[in-house]
Amino acid sequence: MMNDIHTAFVRRQLLLSAAGLAIGICAVTAHAESRKEARIDISPNGTLNIVNNSGSVTLHSGSGHQVLVTYIVHSDKVEVDQNASSKQRVELLTHALPNERPTADEAKVDYEITVPAGVSVNVTTVSATITAENLSGDIGFSSESGQIDVKNVAKSHVRVRTMTAAINLNNITSSVVDIQSAGGAVQLKDVTGQRVAANTTSGSIDYRGDCSGGGDYVFTTHSGAVDMTLPPTASVDLMARSTNGSVENAFPLREKSHNTFVPQQGRSFAGTSNSGLSSVELQSFSGKIRVKKQ
Amino acid sequence: MNCQQFQEILPFIIESGGNEEDEAHLKTCPSCASLVQDLRYIAEQAKLLLPMHDPNPRVWNNIEESLQREGLLSEGRRPAGQLKKNSTPHEAKSWTPLGWVMTIAAIALFAAVLINYKPKQLPSTTTLAQNTSADSAQLNDDDRQLVTQLSQDSPDAGLAYASNLREVNAYISDAQQAVEYDPQDASAQELLQDAHQQKEMLYQMATARSLP
Repeated sequence: MMNDIHTAFVRRQLLLSAAGLAIGICAVTAHAESRKEARIDISPNGTLNIVNNSGSVTLHSGSGHQVLVTYIVHSDKVEVDQNASSKQRVELLTHALPNERPTADEAKVDYEITVPAGVSVNVTTVSATITAENLSGDIGFSSESGQIDVKNVAKSHVRVRTMTAAINLNNITSSVVDIQSAGGAVQLKDVTGQRVAANTTSGSIDYRGDCSGGGDYVFTTHSGAVDMTLPPTASVDLMARSTNGSVENAFPLREKSHNTFVPQQGRSFAGTSNSGLSSVELQSFSGKIRVKKQ
Repeated sequence: MNCQQFQEILPFIIESGGNEEDEAHLKTCPSCASLVQDLRYIAEQAKLLLPMHDPNPRVWNNIEESLQREGLLSEGRRPAGQLKKNSTPHEAKSWTPLGWVMTIAAIALFAAVLINYKPKQLPSTTTLAQNTSADSAQLNDDDRQLVTQLSQDSPDAGLAYASNLREVNAYISDAQQAVEYDPQDASAQELLQDAHQQKEMLYQMATARSLP
């Protein structure tokens, strides 16, 4: 009986110790992860610059003349500097504290930002993802390996750069779009404007839309594949050329009487659909180019 | 008839089926019968191949004379020409002087076409295939310096940039070759500009790094 009482006591002590340890760990974690909010005045045509290497940056449109920022810092080895010396330029810079060398996880900061209409946004990350929706100012996003998603943007200048990260643009209209990616896959859905250009080294380019607006659409790769899916109503003057790769066309095109090059079976083709309003130029050095009908 | 005598006329037996004496030997000699069976099977299968022109009878004579000189064949055997009993004049093809002249003329014409024909393509896909391989593309001094600096802070970043710089250098090299091949090709020039833009982008990204 004495043994039973002793065993029960020891078990109770162990449970209490474990509970205390768990509470302690949670407390420490909660202390390291901190959430902060800020409201920063900005001019209607001002510029918001964000540098955040690790974590995420999510941007929404909002009203008013203030940038609303909520960010979560995951360690006490990094901090966010807010620089708003003038309302024309607002900066949010994530950086390591002096003498600190945070790991990628410790360096993570997650941003949720509401941007007033007309404000241009520039975001630079290393691995942080960038997501933007319904923005109306100019956009400049750059990331090494953080995926970039942009949707519902009109009448803007959209400039996106990645090294290996995927780029997804959806419903970007009446805009000038400039995409550069060394190895990331580029997906464009309903992206139209006076100029839509994408250039990759090994990344693939996939375009789905009607290339409307009478603009120039230029997609170039070194070895990445280029896929274009057009509706029958697309009005395009299309040229496709692969120096060492191949081309396939499953979209009805009328042959052009005058070309700047001699079409070569399996390597290049050119033609016009409907009134040939927009110019489409697909070029690859060794990648495969395919044009399909929606 | 013994086995040696039988095997001397074996080709004739395969061709024509042999006479009564040959058949009698086959019935009494299992080894010769097995040999004939194998040879007949080979002969039947050979008919399924593309038709071949029989060589000139002179060829058979030469072979027989060679075998006799070497002592592999005794004299007095039926002449080789008679082995090919079914050989008809039209099956014995030979090159006439006119045929030789026409052949040489065709080869000369083909060679002239090859020499004068210049397709609008890059000259050597083998060379370009080598250049398109990112592994074979080199890093220049600036690239190596950049990669070294990046690697000090983050070895993974250094590796990633090295890999991408090699691919971009291959892009530039291929585009340069295309421009050199046809300087008037506007598309090739655009390709070269795009390739350089890719490299510029990588350098800008690398210099913009702050945290590891």
